[in-house]
Amino acid sequence: MAEMKTLIKIKPKDYKAGDIVKIDFMAMHPMETGMRKNKDTGELIPANYIDEVKFSFNDKLITKMVIWESLSVNPLMSISFKVPGAGTLKVVAKDNKGQSVESTTQITPKG
Amino acid sequence: MERRSFLKGFGAAAACAIAIPQVVSAADEKKNGGPNEMSYETAVSAITGGKALVASAKVKMEAPEIAENGAVVPVKITVDSPMSEKDYVKAIHVLASKNGNVRCANIYLTPANGEAYFGTRIKLGGTQDVVAIAEMSDGTFLSTKQNVKVTIGGCG
Repeated sequence: MAEMKTLIKIKPKDYKAGDIVKIDFMAMHPMETGMRKNKDTGELIPANYIDEVKFSFNDKLITKMVIWESLSVNPLMSISFKVPGAGTLKVVAKDNKGQSVESTTQITPKG
Repeated sequence: MERRSFLKGFGAAAACAIAIPQVVSAADEKKNGGPNEMSYETAVSAITGGKALVASAKVKMEAPEIAENGAVVPVKITVDSPMSEKDYVKAIHVLASKNGNVRCANIYLTPANGEAYFGTRIKLGGTQDVVAIAEMSDGTFLSTKQNVKVTIGGCG
């Protein structure tokens, strides 16, 4: 599989320190359940899904997720975050085959 | 063996079998190549460790009543909590009660979240209850559920 593409969105775009914002994390991933069959060969497609996502701010863990194949294809995970100030938000996602991807975004509060 | 003593012994053995609680070991949690399977009861006991689940209005779930496409069902969960160091939501667990593997996501929160919220999109194999369990910092488990009618299943 090609490298996992990810996207982090902070909502709303403008926020101040102390505000509670929403962090949307999206990953391009097939989230195979292991129950689907290849239509040409009839073989089961092995399960392949993201099983762990960690959100951290300035290297301090804020949220850890353990997830399973029941999340939709190209899963979206959204959490709240109280902005303490400027810093780096890092999201590390890992799938059951050991593939992992790290994405970061800067948190820059205004005012 | 006399019939009476045999029955006594049998009864004792049966009682033992019931008394042993269903323990979910770390090995069961481990994921392999094949499809995961876990029943609702096993998943709940794994989360709560046998503690009671209290239905509470503090846990709110936003999910469609009718989902036309079971492959993408948006679910949003919020839990009423000050999210302070002393009183916060430790985890939000999302379960789809009739999927082969009922577990969808376990979200471990910290006070840094500021608000206990989790939003995602899940697959539902058919019409069923979606259950959210909030693990509070005082050790109690609050829950809520919503029935979602699915017209086209999402596990094809």
